[in-house]
Amino acid sequence: MHILDLTISEIHRALVNKEITPRELVDEAFRRLESDANNLFETSMKEQTYKRLATLGEPEKDNVFWGIPFMIKDNFSTKGVLTTASSDILNGYIPVFDATVVKKLYQAKALPIAKATMDELAMGGSGVTGHKGPTFNPYDIKHEHIIGGSSSGSAAAVAAGIVPFALGSDTGDSVRKPASHGGLVGFKATWGRISRYGLFPFVPSLDHVGYFTRSVEDAAHALNLLSGYDKMDTTSSIKPVENYVKKIHDGIENARIAVLNQVYSSITDAAVRHAFDHLVENVKAKGIIVDFVDIDEALMRAIYPTYIVLSCAEATSNNANLDGIRFGQRKDGETYQDIMTNSRTAGFSPLIKRRFLIGSFALMRENQFELYQRAQKARRLIVDAVNKIFDNYDAILLPAAPSVAPKFNADSDALSDEYLIADNHLAIGNFGGFPSLTLPLGFKDNLPFGVNVTGRPYADADVLAIAYQLENIIGYRNLSTRRMKQ
Amino acid sequence: MNFQAVIGLEIHVEIKTKTKMFSTAPINFSMPPNTLVAPLDLAFPGTLPRVNKSAVEKAIQLSDALHMDIDHELHFDRKNYFYSDLPKGYQITQNYRPIGREGYLDLVLADGRIKRVHIERLHLEEDTAMQHHYANKTLLDFNRAGIPLVEIVTHPDLSTGEEAMKYVEKIREIVTYADVSDGKMEEGSLRCDVNISLRPFGSEKLGTKVEIKNLNSIANVQKAIEYETIRQQKMLLKGEAIIQETRRFDETKKATVRMRVKTDAVDYKYFPEANIPPIKLSEQFVNNAIAKRPELAEQKRERYTKKYNLRDYDADILLINRQNAAYFDDAAQYTQAYQTLANWVNGEVSAYLNKRQIEISQLTIAAHQLAELINLIEVGKLSNKQGRQVFELMLDSDEHPEAIAKKHNLLQLSDPNIILPIVIATLSENPQSVEDYKAGKDRALGFIVGQVMKKMRGQANPSLVNQIVTEEINKL
Repeated sequence: MHILDLTISEIHRALVNKEITPRELVDEAFRRLESDANNLFETSMKEQTYKRLATLGEPEKDNVFWGIPFMIKDNFSTKGVLTTASSDILNGYIPVFDATVVKKLYQAKALPIAKATMDELAMGGSGVTGHKGPTFNPYDIKHEHIIGGSSSGSAAAVAAGIVPFALGSDTGDSVRKPASHGGLVGFKATWGRISRYGLFPFVPSLDHVGYFTRSVEDAAHALNLLSGYDKMDTTSSIKPVENYVKKIHDGIENARIAVLNQVYSSITDAAVRHAFDHLVENVKAKGIIVDFVDIDEALMRAIYPTYIVLSCAEATSNNANLDGIRFGQRKDGETYQDIMTNSRTAGFSPLIKRRFLIGSFALMRENQFELYQRAQKARRLIVDAVNKIFDNYDAILLPAAPSVAPKFNADSDALSDEYLIADNHLAIGNFGGFPSLTLPLGFKDNLPFGVNVTGRPYADADVLAIAYQLENIIGYRNLSTRRMKQ
Repeated sequence: MNFQAVIGLEIHVEIKTKTKMFSTAPINFSMPPNTLVAPLDLAFPGTLPRVNKSAVEKAIQLSDALHMDIDHELHFDRKNYFYSDLPKGYQITQNYRPIGREGYLDLVLADGRIKRVHIERLHLEEDTAMQHHYANKTLLDFNRAGIPLVEIVTHPDLSTGEEAMKYVEKIREIVTYADVSDGKMEEGSLRCDVNISLRPFGSEKLGTKVEIKNLNSIANVQKAIEYETIRQQKMLLKGEAIIQETRRFDETKKATVRMRVKTDAVDYKYFPEANIPPIKLSEQFVNNAIAKRPELAEQKRERYTKKYNLRDYDADILLINRQNAAYFDDAAQYTQAYQTLANWVNGEVSAYLNKRQIEISQLTIAAHQLAELINLIEVGKLSNKQGRQVFELMLDSDEHPEAIAKKHNLLQLSDPNIILPIVIATLSENPQSVEDYKAGKDRALGFIVGQVMKKMRGQANPSLVNQIVTEEINKL
């Protein structure tokens, strides 16, 4: 076993104890990256990283991110490093500034290995729509199963043991779903808890910075580092940050947990249901209250259409800057209209254009009331219903996905509850800006699946503390394909 | 058949702030292109808008000056369209909740009538990049992209070119006095779009609306409207339909000409800007902003005519130029002779500035020095003529006006102890004149006064000499 296979906190101890040097860690990370077959990175940062090594100095005992290799989803702005969001329209775009979270990781002297692949412009959940082609699930050497997206490369890199930490972004479930498919901890904190400055916008009111780790404790460490007010993002919260690592040990004796009947019953996979039921029994056995509660099924069925309308509508506007005029890939033309049309025609895949069409349609004057505004209203109703549950419960516990990672090109019945509810309920966390964490729950056919905990706004510490207990109960900690082989 | 023009105005005012509306890039019009640009101004992905507090304060100050209701919660929306000068592909504006709502402005027309113009909304938004068109290319300057703008929209309340011209003049007066904007139409810091349609008098139904853009002076606002009114009237009388279109005013032709026909009104697909949360404005913040506003021209006019008792005409002349009014205000701290001061600023000083083609800020005589000069005239130490001579000398000197007058022997003698013996001597030298005076020939008095002045080489205070001569002659 290599020290790189450990969690952040374990690697940190090894670094402090001089059992390994950052250079040895980075050498190994690049060796793994370069021999990886999962198509999980856009741009290697090797040159910058080796330069950075020279500036590290001595191990910092109180800084767990010192010398830790990590990856960055390609929709975070990285100064001087090609950033395309896996879209041709941004080919050649080299940002002039760092995203706030990237800057914080640099300041902590963590070591960036590469920019990770993703679904094009973060629109998608499969990890197949990026301009470099599909990213594969490292658990499936036959390359038949997706890792999921849109943070596909980040999830695959942590699951494959290349890095113990990767930045992702989560607008519908883009961190928490691939975490389920990759046997990882995937976390997005309360909306506003982590600055979005430098994250390419998809739907600002739903966009969250998220990340992958291989333990809940690591997720808490990352929140300690990344959370807090940022003057560059006026939607970031001025609420004081907490010591989330310390708080995960506080215990959850008085916690009350709800399972939503209408979501639970939409899960048909026997393995997932069995593992979930087993978990509930074990949690109850610890004296923690777990109740199955009802929520309006119509609202649960409305999650997906609401998400599609809101996200497509706002995506048209948020990507209107990608016109080939000032940066990115330009296709010339006679007039500015021609340049924009040609650049956008060549720069976006058909899938993206389809979303823009849906979004423009929803925003048109004659449709806005019936589509966009109704979707906003539906969002509010869904959040209100969930907040009512939070009046009595500290967290909602649900399977993170209907099953293990689906196969490429798997058909799904878009009108079934399995699809509408089981496959999309994580968007509740985005609608309400709730802190939400996925952690591994079980395996089926050698593929992992996860469970999700979602809590009240700014109860990030509670969600992490509950997840920490669940991790202990479930017993899956620090999963990666390398450790599975052992 | 007679037609009535229905006119609404949309005015964009560039707000004078140190930095841009949503980024921290500085604003400076004398810098080379594309040197004052933050990542946000180029719409680099991941940048986020931050509201400029000073621009908000200035929008509040203007809303208050226009008697508007001020929204105590700031909301921004996106106006979506593609254009090469619009980096983000949308403009951040305030569509659903403008900061100022429903106000008015009273105009005094040439015939003395008061016209009240109702104002629908005032909102904050951002400017686009500047385009420079060449034969085969267009260059973009992003220094202008993101400069704060305020848009002020009237109800269709106006009916003549004169009213429109007066309205724009008044808006410019307000924005310049409040120090919110340079208000220069020629330079584009104040832009006016006109919406105009005609309808038969008495009709309630509005006619087809024509928009006139690119008006670069206040005079052209009036000219364009007057031309357009006649053009539309002629068409209507010939039974032709007015086409919904955008026109501009061609200065050489003195006519409005077509820019483009508007097919369907553009759908800007407005929706709320999620990157700026609603911002609560406390009563205190709003009140402080208003209290901080420099005195408006209207307030100054009130002070000049009521407190300083200036003639209306002089007050108006002073207020034409904000710098002149400010200079007058400075000088008024040091003298009570307000009307004389106004006469001087509007007369001697302005004449000099015109002659030299300079602004009052370039005048080498400080306001307090001019006030001292006026005080010397008021107490009789200087005649008006001497005052003008001293003024000329002051232009090239830092010395106190009294010192200058002394040095050049320009001081009026006002000491009775010096004048009296000369008067007595002159009377005894001119018995004939004394007799003539006693016989009722008033002109004789003037002769004696003239003799005294002559002996004193013109430096004696004439009214004092007059007074002493009268007293002494009556004693004889």
